[in-house]
Amino acid sequence: MTPSAASDEPQLEAQESADIAGLVPLLQRIVTARVGQHPAAEDIIQETLARVLAAEDRIEPGMLEPYAITTVRNVIASMWRKDDVAARNQHRMHDPSESVEAAELLVASEEQLAMTEALARLTDRERQVLLAHEVSGLATQVLADEVGSTAGAVAAQLKRTRARLRVEYVLALEGTEPPTDRCRAVLLALSSADRRRQRELDSARHLLECDVCARLSEPLLDRAPERPDEVRVPIGADPDIVSARQAARELAVRAGFVGADLTMLATAVSEVARNIVRFAESGEVSIELLARPRAGIRVIARDTGPGISDIDRALQDGFSTYDGLGLGLPGARRLMDEFEVASAPGKGTTVSMTKWFEKKG
Amino acid sequence: MTSGPALVSILRQGDVLVASVHTALDDSQMLRFQHDLVRQIGEHRARGVIIDVAALDVIDSFASRTLQSIADISRLRGAATVIVGIQPDVAFAMVRLGMGIGELPTALDLEEGMVHLARVRDRARR
Ligand SMILES: [Zn+2]
Repeated sequence: MTPSAASDEPQLEAQESADIAGLVPLLQRIVTARVGQHPAAEDIIQETLARVLAAEDRIEPGMLEPYAITTVRNVIASMWRKDDVAARNQHRMHDPSESVEAAELLVASEEQLAMTEALARLTDRERQVLLAHEVSGLATQVLADEVGSTAGAVAAQLKRTRARLRVEYVLALEGTEPPTDRCRAVLLALSSADRRRQRELDSARHLLECDVCARLSEPLLDRAPERPDEVRVPIGADPDIVSARQAARELAVRAGFVGADLTMLATAVSEVARNIVRFAESGEVSIELLARPRAGIRVIARDTGPGISDIDRALQDGFSTYDGLGLGLPGARRLMDEFEVASAPGKGTTVSMTKWFEKKG
Repeated sequence: MTSGPALVSILRQGDVLVASVHTALDDSQMLRFQHDLVRQIGEHRARGVIIDVAALDVIDSFASRTLQSIADISRLRGAATVIVGIQPDVAFAMVRLGMGIGELPTALDLEEGMVHLARVRDRARR
Protein backbone atom coordinates (compact mmCIF):
# COMPACT_ATOMS: atom_id res chain seq x y z
CA MET A 1 0.00 0.00 0.00
CA THR A 2 1.45 3.30 -0.94
CA PRO A 3 -0.72 6.14 0.28
CA SER A 4 0.30 9.29 -1.44
CA ALA A 5 1.92 11.74 0.89
CA ALA A 6 2.52 15.31 -0.07
CA SER A 7 5.62 16.83 1.40
CA ASP A 8 6.29 20.36 0.33
CA GLU A 9 9.93 20.25 1.37
CA PRO A 10 11.36 16.81 0.72
CA GLN A 11 14.90 18.17 0.48
CA LEU A 12 14.77 19.15 4.12
CA GLU A 13 14.09 15.67 5.45
CA ALA A 14 17.67 14.58 6.06
CA GLN A 15 18.41 17.90 7.65
CA GLU A 16 15.47 17.56 10.01
CA SER A 17 16.44 14.10 11.17
CA ALA A 18 19.88 15.42 12.03
CA ASP A 19 18.17 18.21 13.96
CA ILE A 20 16.19 15.71 15.96
CA ALA A 21 19.33 13.88 17.06
CA GLY A 22 20.69 17.29 18.01
CA LEU A 23 17.78 17.72 20.43
CA VAL A 24 19.02 15.00 22.76
CA PRO A 25 21.44 17.06 24.91
CA LEU A 26 18.78 19.73 25.36
CA LEU A 27 16.19 17.15 26.40
CA GLN A 28 18.65 15.54 28.79
CA ARG A 29 19.18 18.89 30.52
CA ILE A 30 15.44 19.45 30.88
CA VAL A 31 14.70 15.94 32.12
CA THR A 32 17.52 16.02 34.64
CA ALA A 33 16.31 19.37 35.90
CA ARG A 34 12.78 18.03 36.36
CA VAL A 35 13.16 14.46 37.54
CA GLY A 36 16.85 14.17 38.46
CA GLN A 37 18.29 10.69 38.06
CA HIS A 38 14.86 9.09 37.92
CA PRO A 39 15.00 5.61 36.37
CA ALA A 40 12.43 6.70 33.81
CA ALA A 41 14.56 9.60 32.57
CA GLU A 42 15.82 7.74 29.53
CA ASP A 43 12.30 6.56 28.67
CA ILE A 44 11.03 10.10 28.85
CA ILE A 45 13.62 11.23 26.35
CA GLN A 46 12.88 8.33 24.02
CA GLU A 47 9.16 8.95 24.22
CA THR A 48 9.68 12.63 23.49
CA LEU A 49 11.87 11.92 20.48
CA ALA A 50 9.31 9.46 19.17
CA ARG A 51 6.55 12.03 19.41
CA VAL A 52 8.66 14.74 17.81
CA LEU A 53 9.57 12.39 14.98
CA ALA A 54 5.93 11.52 14.49
CA ALA A 55 5.00 15.18 14.18
CA GLU A 56 8.06 16.15 12.19
CA ASP A 57 6.44 16.41 8.82
CA ARG A 58 3.66 18.56 10.13
CA ILE A 59 5.75 21.32 11.67
CA GLU A 60 8.19 23.73 10.18
CA PRO A 61 11.84 23.00 10.93
CA GLY A 62 12.32 26.08 13.10
CA MET A 63 9.69 24.77 15.46
CA LEU A 64 11.32 21.45 16.27
CA GLU A 65 13.10 22.73 19.34
CA PRO A 66 10.19 24.53 20.98
CA TYR A 67 7.96 21.60 20.15
CA ALA A 68 10.43 19.18 21.73
CA ILE A 69 10.58 21.34 24.85
CA THR A 70 6.82 21.46 25.25
CA THR A 71 6.56 17.77 24.46
CA VAL A 72 9.07 16.70 27.07
CA ARG A 73 7.18 18.72 29.65
CA ASN A 74 3.96 17.00 28.65
CA VAL A 75 5.59 13.59 28.79
CA ILE A 76 6.86 14.24 32.29
CA ALA A 77 3.49 15.53 33.40
CA SER A 78 1.66 12.57 31.91
CA MET A 79 4.10 10.16 33.52
CA TRP A 80 2.67 11.13 36.88
CA ARG A 81 -0.84 10.60 35.59
CA LYS A 82 -0.06 7.40 33.76
CA ASP A 83 -1.20 4.86 36.34
CA ASP A 84 -4.45 6.67 36.45
CA VAL A 85 -4.98 6.50 32.70
CA ALA A 86 -3.90 2.90 32.47
CA ALA A 87 -6.47 1.96 35.05
CA ARG A 88 -9.16 3.83 33.18
CA ASN A 89 -8.32 2.21 29.87
CA GLN A 90 -7.91 -1.28 31.15
CA HIS A 91 -11.30 -2.47 30.02
CA ARG A 92 -10.48 -1.38 26.49
CA MET A 93 -7.27 -3.31 26.30
CA HIS A 94 -8.32 -6.51 27.94
CA ASP A 95 -11.67 -7.25 26.45
CA PRO A 96 -10.94 -8.99 23.18
CA SER A 97 -14.62 -9.29 22.36
CA GLU A 98 -14.83 -5.55 22.05
CA SER A 99 -13.74 -4.29 18.68
CA VAL A 100 -11.50 -1.28 18.41
CA GLU A 101 -14.29 0.49 16.60
CA ALA A 102 -16.63 -0.11 19.50
CA ALA A 103 -14.02 1.09 21.96
CA GLU A 104 -13.71 4.29 20.01
CA LEU A 105 -17.42 4.84 20.31
CA LEU A 106 -17.14 4.60 24.05
CA VAL A 107 -16.07 8.20 24.36
CA ALA A 108 -16.44 9.63 27.80
CA SER A 109 -19.33 12.02 28.16
CA GLU A 110 -16.97 14.95 28.64
CA GLU A 111 -15.48 14.24 25.27
CA GLN A 112 -18.92 14.20 23.71
CA LEU A 113 -19.74 17.52 25.28
CA ALA A 114 -16.50 18.96 24.00
CA MET A 115 -17.32 17.75 20.50
CA THR A 116 -20.80 19.24 20.63
CA GLU A 117 -19.32 22.50 21.80
CA ALA A 118 -16.66 22.41 19.08
CA LEU A 119 -19.26 21.74 16.39
CA ALA A 120 -21.29 24.68 17.64
CA ARG A 121 -18.29 26.95 17.15
CA LEU A 122 -18.04 26.21 13.44
CA THR A 123 -19.89 28.43 11.02
CA ASP A 124 -23.23 27.14 9.72
CA ARG A 125 -21.69 26.55 6.33
CA GLU A 126 -18.74 24.61 7.71
CA ARG A 127 -20.94 22.48 9.90
CA GLN A 128 -23.37 21.80 7.08
CA VAL A 129 -20.72 20.54 4.67
CA LEU A 130 -18.90 18.54 7.31
CA LEU A 131 -22.03 16.81 8.51
CA ALA A 132 -23.26 16.15 4.99
CA HIS A 133 -19.99 14.40 4.29
CA GLU A 134 -19.30 12.63 7.58
CA VAL A 135 -22.80 11.86 8.73
CA SER A 136 -24.88 11.61 5.59
CA GLY A 137 -22.02 10.08 3.67
CA LEU A 138 -22.31 12.39 0.67
CA ALA A 139 -19.33 12.20 -1.66
CA THR A 140 -17.25 15.31 -2.23
CA GLN A 141 -18.35 15.26 -5.86
CA VAL A 142 -22.01 15.35 -4.89
CA LEU A 143 -21.39 18.21 -2.49
CA ALA A 144 -19.42 20.04 -5.14
CA ASP A 145 -22.21 19.68 -7.67
CA GLU A 146 -24.69 21.10 -5.19
CA VAL A 147 -22.78 24.31 -4.72
CA GLY A 148 -21.31 24.52 -8.19
CA SER A 149 -17.79 23.88 -7.01
CA THR A 150 -15.20 21.20 -7.71
CA ALA A 151 -14.58 18.02 -5.73
CA GLY A 152 -11.05 19.22 -5.04
CA ALA A 153 -12.25 22.50 -3.58
CA VAL A 154 -14.78 20.74 -1.38
CA ALA A 155 -12.13 18.28 -0.19
CA ALA A 156 -9.83 21.18 0.70
CA GLN A 157 -12.64 22.90 2.54
CA LEU A 158 -13.42 19.73 4.47
CA LYS A 159 -9.78 19.44 5.42
CA ARG A 160 -9.74 23.01 6.76
CA THR A 161 -12.96 22.42 8.64
CA ARG A 162 -11.64 19.25 10.25
CA ALA A 163 -8.52 21.13 11.32
CA ARG A 164 -10.71 23.87 12.83
CA LEU A 165 -12.88 21.32 14.55
CA ARG A 166 -9.84 19.70 16.16
CA VAL A 167 -8.71 23.07 17.50
CA GLU A 168 -12.11 23.90 18.92
CA TYR A 169 -12.38 20.41 20.33
CA VAL A 170 -9.14 20.52 22.31
CA LEU A 171 -10.02 24.01 23.54
CA ALA A 172 -13.45 22.87 24.67
CA LEU A 173 -12.00 19.77 26.26
CA GLU A 174 -9.57 21.91 28.25
CA GLY A 175 -12.31 24.36 29.05
CA THR A 176 -10.04 27.25 28.18
CA GLU A 177 -10.20 30.24 25.94
CA PRO A 178 -6.85 31.00 24.33
CA PRO A 179 -5.13 33.98 26.02
CA THR A 180 -3.96 35.86 22.93
CA ASP A 181 -5.32 36.89 19.55
CA ARG A 182 -2.64 34.88 17.87
CA CYS A 183 -3.43 31.57 19.58
CA ARG A 184 -6.25 30.29 17.39
CA ALA A 185 -4.31 31.04 14.22
CA VAL A 186 -1.25 29.23 15.55
CA LEU A 187 -3.29 26.24 16.70
CA LEU A 188 -5.03 26.08 13.34
CA ALA A 189 -1.71 26.16 11.49
CA LEU A 190 -0.55 23.25 13.66
CA SER A 191 -3.78 21.33 13.31
CA SER A 192 -3.80 21.64 9.53
CA ALA A 193 -0.08 20.85 9.28
CA ASP A 194 0.32 24.04 7.27
CA ARG A 195 4.01 24.66 7.55
CA ARG A 196 4.04 27.91 5.60
CA ARG A 197 1.39 29.39 7.84
CA GLN A 198 3.29 28.15 10.89
CA ARG A 199 6.35 30.10 9.70
CA GLU A 200 4.36 33.23 8.89
CA LEU A 201 2.90 33.24 12.39
CA ASP A 202 6.25 32.55 14.02
CA SER A 203 4.58 29.65 15.79
CA ALA A 204 7.88 28.48 17.20
CA ARG A 205 8.22 31.55 19.36
CA HIS A 206 4.56 31.50 20.31
CA LEU A 207 4.78 27.94 21.62
CA LEU A 208 7.58 28.96 23.93
CA GLU A 209 5.71 32.00 25.19
CA CYS A 210 2.17 30.66 25.47
CA ASP A 211 1.48 27.90 27.97
CA VAL A 212 -1.97 27.14 26.62
CA CYS A 213 -0.80 26.61 23.06
CA ALA A 214 2.21 24.66 24.25
CA ARG A 215 -0.10 22.27 26.06
CA LEU A 216 -2.61 22.01 23.22
CA SER A 217 0.00 21.64 20.51
CA GLU A 218 0.57 18.05 21.41
CA PRO A 219 -2.89 16.59 20.97
CA LEU A 220 -3.11 18.57 17.74
CA LEU A 221 0.16 17.28 16.33
CA ASP A 222 0.45 13.87 17.85
CA ARG A 223 -1.87 12.19 15.43
CA ALA A 224 0.61 9.79 13.92
CA PRO A 225 -0.77 6.53 15.33
CA GLU A 226 -4.25 7.45 14.21
CA ARG A 227 -5.32 5.09 11.50
CA PRO A 228 -6.42 6.92 8.43
CA ASP A 229 -9.97 6.35 7.29
CA GLU A 230 -9.01 7.10 3.75
CA VAL A 231 -6.26 5.65 1.63
CA ARG A 232 -5.25 6.85 -1.79
CA VAL A 233 -3.33 4.55 -4.04
CA PRO A 234 -1.76 6.06 -7.15
CA ILE A 235 -2.29 3.78 -10.12
CA GLY A 236 0.26 3.64 -12.90
CA ALA A 237 1.24 0.03 -13.49
CA ASP A 238 0.24 -3.58 -12.89
CA PRO A 239 1.56 -3.90 -9.31
CA ASP A 240 -0.60 -0.93 -8.28
CA ILE A 241 -3.71 -2.99 -9.04
CA VAL A 242 -2.68 -5.45 -6.34
CA SER A 243 -1.77 -2.61 -3.95
CA ALA A 244 -5.16 -0.99 -4.44
CA ARG A 245 -7.16 -4.12 -3.76
CA GLN A 246 -5.04 -4.97 -0.72
CA ALA A 247 -5.47 -1.46 0.67
CA ALA A 248 -9.22 -1.79 0.22
CA ARG A 249 -9.23 -5.11 1.97
CA GLU A 250 -7.29 -3.74 4.94
CA LEU A 251 -9.65 -0.81 5.39
CA ALA A 252 -12.69 -3.02 4.93
CA VAL A 253 -11.59 -5.37 7.69
CA ARG A 254 -11.78 -2.38 10.00
CA ALA A 255 -15.29 -1.59 8.84
CA GLY A 256 -16.30 -5.09 9.89
CA PHE A 257 -16.30 -6.76 6.50
CA VAL A 258 -15.60 -10.47 6.51
CA GLY A 259 -15.47 -13.39 4.12
CA ALA A 260 -17.03 -13.11 0.70
CA ASP A 261 -17.82 -9.40 1.14
CA LEU A 262 -14.11 -8.69 1.51
CA THR A 263 -13.23 -10.71 -1.54
CA MET A 264 -16.01 -9.16 -3.63
CA LEU A 265 -14.79 -5.69 -2.69
CA ALA A 266 -11.16 -6.56 -3.45
CA THR A 267 -12.18 -8.05 -6.78
CA ALA A 268 -14.18 -4.97 -7.76
CA VAL A 269 -11.26 -2.71 -6.82
CA SER A 270 -8.98 -4.88 -8.91
CA GLU A 271 -11.25 -4.38 -11.93
CA VAL A 272 -11.55 -0.61 -11.70
CA ALA A 273 -7.83 -0.21 -11.01
CA ARG A 274 -7.07 -2.31 -14.06
CA ASN A 275 -9.27 -0.09 -16.18
CA ILE A 276 -7.06 2.83 -15.20
CA VAL A 277 -3.86 1.00 -16.11
CA ARG A 278 -5.25 -0.23 -19.44
CA PHE A 279 -7.12 2.80 -20.67
CA ALA A 280 -5.77 5.84 -18.94
CA GLU A 281 -2.28 4.75 -17.94
CA SER A 282 -2.44 6.67 -14.72
CA GLY A 283 -4.91 7.72 -12.10
CA GLU A 284 -5.80 7.05 -8.53
CA VAL A 285 -7.97 4.80 -6.46
CA SER A 286 -9.14 6.28 -3.19
CA ILE A 287 -10.77 4.12 -0.60
CA GLU A 288 -12.74 5.63 2.22
CA LEU A 289 -14.43 4.18 5.26
CA LEU A 290 -17.98 5.34 5.80
CA ALA A 291 -19.57 5.38 9.22
CA ARG A 292 -22.98 6.71 8.24
CA PRO A 293 -25.72 5.91 7.50
CA ARG A 294 -24.04 2.61 8.32
CA ALA A 295 -20.62 1.06 8.07
CA GLY A 296 -19.40 0.77 4.57
CA ILE A 297 -16.62 1.51 2.21
CA ARG A 298 -16.47 3.78 -0.79
CA VAL A 299 -14.05 3.38 -3.63
CA ILE A 300 -13.42 6.10 -6.15
CA ALA A 301 -11.29 5.41 -9.19
CA ARG A 302 -10.27 8.51 -11.10
CA ASP A 303 -8.23 8.91 -14.20
CA THR A 304 -7.47 11.55 -16.75
CA GLY A 305 -7.59 9.17 -19.67
CA PRO A 306 -9.55 9.41 -22.90
CA GLY A 307 -12.89 8.88 -21.15
CA ILE A 308 -15.79 6.71 -22.19
CA SER A 309 -18.15 8.03 -24.82
CA ASP A 310 -20.95 5.52 -24.28
CA ILE A 311 -21.19 4.59 -20.63
CA ASP A 312 -24.32 2.49 -21.03
CA ARG A 313 -22.59 0.31 -23.55
CA ALA A 314 -19.47 0.11 -21.40
CA LEU A 315 -21.63 -1.28 -18.63
CA GLN A 316 -22.94 -4.09 -20.78
CA ASP A 317 -21.29 -7.45 -20.50
CA GLY A 318 -18.88 -8.29 -23.25
CA PHE A 319 -19.09 -4.78 -24.67
CA SER A 320 -15.78 -5.51 -26.29
CA THR A 321 -13.00 -8.04 -26.20
CA TYR A 322 -11.01 -8.36 -23.06
CA ASP A 323 -8.60 -5.81 -24.38
CA GLY A 324 -11.55 -3.49 -24.26
CA LEU A 325 -13.65 -2.92 -21.20
CA GLY A 326 -14.88 -6.48 -21.17
CA LEU A 327 -16.08 -7.64 -17.82
CA GLY A 328 -14.29 -4.97 -15.84
CA LEU A 329 -17.02 -2.39 -15.22
CA PRO A 330 -20.17 -4.52 -15.39
CA GLY A 331 -18.46 -7.13 -13.22
CA ALA A 332 -17.42 -4.57 -10.63
CA ARG A 333 -20.96 -3.22 -10.61
CA ARG A 334 -22.35 -6.64 -9.73
CA LEU A 335 -19.88 -6.97 -6.88
CA MET A 336 -20.77 -3.67 -5.20
CA ASP A 337 -23.97 -2.22 -3.75
CA GLU A 338 -23.79 1.16 -5.45
CA PHE A 339 -22.05 1.98 -8.66
CA GLU A 340 -21.75 5.10 -10.74
CA VAL A 341 -19.63 6.12 -13.68
CA ALA A 342 -19.02 9.67 -14.77
CA SER A 343 -17.03 10.23 -17.89
CA ALA A 344 -16.65 12.54 -20.81
CA PRO A 345 -14.50 11.99 -23.86
CA GLY A 346 -11.13 13.65 -23.32
CA LYS A 347 -11.88 14.40 -19.71
CA GLY A 348 -11.22 11.13 -17.98
CA THR A 349 -13.40 8.77 -16.04
CA THR A 350 -14.52 8.58 -12.43
CA VAL A 351 -15.99 5.39 -11.09
CA SER A 352 -17.61 5.65 -7.64
CA MET A 353 -18.73 2.51 -5.94
CA THR A 354 -19.88 1.67 -2.44
CA LYS A 355 -20.32 -1.48 -0.50
CA TRP A 356 -22.30 -1.48 2.73
CA PHE A 357 -21.49 -3.72 5.59
CA GLU A 358 -24.46 -5.95 6.30
CA LYS A 359 -24.61 -7.10 9.85
CA LYS A 360 -25.29 -10.81 9.71
CA GLY A 361 -27.92 -12.37 11.87
CA MET B 1 10.74 -10.47 -9.34
CA THR B 2 14.25 -11.74 -9.98
CA SER B 3 14.99 -11.61 -6.29
CA GLY B 4 13.03 -12.60 -3.22
CA PRO B 5 11.00 -15.73 -2.66
CA ALA B 6 9.50 -17.46 -5.68
CA LEU B 7 5.98 -16.32 -6.52
CA VAL B 8 5.16 -19.61 -8.15
CA SER B 9 6.67 -23.08 -8.11
CA ILE B 10 6.27 -25.74 -10.78
CA LEU B 11 7.07 -29.31 -9.79
CA ARG B 12 7.00 -32.51 -11.80
CA GLN B 13 5.26 -35.59 -10.56
CA GLY B 14 5.51 -38.28 -13.21
CA ASP B 15 3.86 -36.82 -16.29
CA VAL B 16 1.88 -34.30 -14.25
CA LEU B 17 3.04 -30.77 -13.51
CA VAL B 18 1.95 -29.28 -10.20
CA ALA B 19 2.07 -25.49 -10.25
CA SER B 20 1.53 -23.67 -6.99
CA VAL B 21 0.93 -19.95 -6.75
CA HIS B 22 2.39 -18.70 -3.49
CA THR B 23 1.09 -15.16 -3.32
CA ALA B 24 -1.09 -12.55 -4.98
CA LEU B 25 0.10 -12.02 -8.54
CA ASP B 26 -0.23 -8.90 -10.61
CA ASP B 27 -1.12 -9.10 -14.30
CA SER B 28 2.45 -9.21 -15.58
CA GLN B 29 3.36 -11.89 -13.08
CA MET B 30 0.27 -13.80 -14.08
CA LEU B 31 1.31 -13.69 -17.74
CA ARG B 32 4.83 -14.77 -16.89
CA PHE B 33 3.36 -17.68 -14.95
CA GLN B 34 1.29 -18.67 -17.98
CA HIS B 35 4.34 -18.45 -20.20
CA ASP B 36 6.56 -20.51 -17.87
CA LEU B 37 3.95 -23.16 -17.32
CA VAL B 38 3.13 -23.59 -21.00
CA ARG B 39 6.83 -23.87 -21.81
CA GLN B 40 7.31 -26.56 -19.19
CA ILE B 41 4.31 -28.52 -20.45
CA GLY B 42 6.08 -28.73 -23.79
CA GLU B 43 9.49 -29.49 -22.36
CA HIS B 44 8.29 -32.29 -20.13
CA ARG B 45 5.58 -33.58 -22.46
CA ALA B 46 3.24 -33.37 -19.50
CA ARG B 47 -0.14 -35.11 -19.77
CA GLY B 48 -1.71 -33.31 -16.85
CA VAL B 49 -1.44 -29.95 -15.10
CA ILE B 50 -2.63 -29.06 -11.61
CA ILE B 51 -2.67 -25.39 -10.69
CA ASP B 52 -3.00 -24.65 -6.99
CA VAL B 53 -4.41 -21.15 -6.54
CA ALA B 54 -5.22 -21.32 -2.83
CA ALA B 55 -2.89 -18.38 -2.17
CA LEU B 56 -4.54 -16.03 -4.66
CA ASP B 57 -6.35 -13.25 -2.82
CA VAL B 58 -8.77 -12.68 -5.66
CA ILE B 59 -9.40 -14.23 -9.03
CA ASP B 60 -10.59 -11.29 -11.04
CA SER B 61 -11.44 -11.17 -14.72
CA PHE B 62 -7.80 -11.10 -15.76
CA ALA B 63 -6.75 -13.99 -13.55
CA SER B 64 -9.77 -16.04 -14.65
CA ARG B 65 -9.00 -15.31 -18.25
CA THR B 66 -5.38 -16.31 -17.80
CA LEU B 67 -6.25 -19.57 -16.06
CA GLN B 68 -8.71 -20.28 -18.87
CA SER B 69 -5.99 -19.64 -21.46
CA ILE B 70 -3.60 -21.95 -19.69
CA ALA B 71 -6.23 -24.69 -19.71
CA ASP B 72 -6.98 -24.12 -23.40
CA ILE B 73 -3.35 -24.07 -24.49
CA SER B 74 -2.55 -27.17 -22.42
CA ARG B 75 -5.40 -29.06 -24.02
CA LEU B 76 -4.06 -28.19 -27.46
CA ARG B 77 -0.71 -29.58 -26.37
CA GLY B 78 -2.31 -32.78 -25.09
CA ALA B 79 -2.41 -32.03 -21.38
CA ALA B 80 -5.51 -31.85 -19.19
CA THR B 81 -5.66 -29.06 -16.60
CA VAL B 82 -7.40 -28.83 -13.27
CA ILE B 83 -7.48 -25.83 -10.95
CA VAL B 84 -7.44 -26.63 -7.25
CA GLY B 85 -7.70 -24.62 -4.04
CA ILE B 86 -10.14 -21.91 -5.10
CA GLN B 87 -11.35 -20.52 -1.79
CA PRO B 88 -15.14 -20.41 -1.31
CA ASP B 89 -15.07 -16.57 -0.99
CA VAL B 90 -13.08 -16.30 -4.17
CA ALA B 91 -15.41 -18.65 -6.03
CA PHE B 92 -18.41 -16.64 -4.87
CA ALA B 93 -16.86 -13.40 -6.09
CA MET B 94 -15.96 -14.99 -9.42
CA VAL B 95 -19.56 -15.98 -9.99
CA ARG B 96 -20.81 -12.49 -9.11
CA LEU B 97 -18.21 -10.97 -11.36
CA GLY B 98 -19.61 -13.04 -14.19
CA MET B 99 -16.65 -15.32 -14.70
CA GLY B 100 -18.38 -18.66 -14.67
CA ILE B 101 -16.04 -21.13 -13.10
CA GLY B 102 -18.13 -23.66 -14.98
CA GLU B 103 -15.70 -23.39 -17.87
CA LEU B 104 -12.71 -24.12 -15.69
CA PRO B 105 -12.15 -27.68 -14.53
CA THR B 106 -11.77 -27.42 -10.77
CA ALA B 107 -11.24 -29.71 -7.83
CA LEU B 108 -11.12 -29.16 -4.11
CA ASP B 109 -7.46 -29.91 -3.45
CA LEU B 110 -4.36 -31.55 -4.83
CA GLU B 111 -5.54 -35.06 -4.09
CA GLU B 112 -8.89 -34.58 -5.78
CA GLY B 113 -7.07 -32.85 -8.61
CA MET B 114 -5.07 -36.02 -9.20
CA VAL B 115 -8.24 -38.11 -9.15
CA HIS B 116 -9.83 -35.72 -11.63
CA LEU B 117 -6.88 -36.00 -14.03
CA ALA B 118 -6.90 -39.79 -13.81
CA ARG B 119 -10.60 -39.85 -14.65
CA VAL B 120 -10.11 -37.55 -17.65
CA ARG B 121 -7.39 -39.84 -18.99
CA ASP B 122 -9.49 -42.94 -18.51
CA ARG B 123 -12.25 -41.33 -20.49
CA ALA B 124 -9.79 -40.37 -23.25
CA ARG B 125 -8.51 -43.96 -23.49
CA ARG B 126 -11.97 -45.41 -23.97
ZN1 LIG C 1 -1.37 30.80 22.50
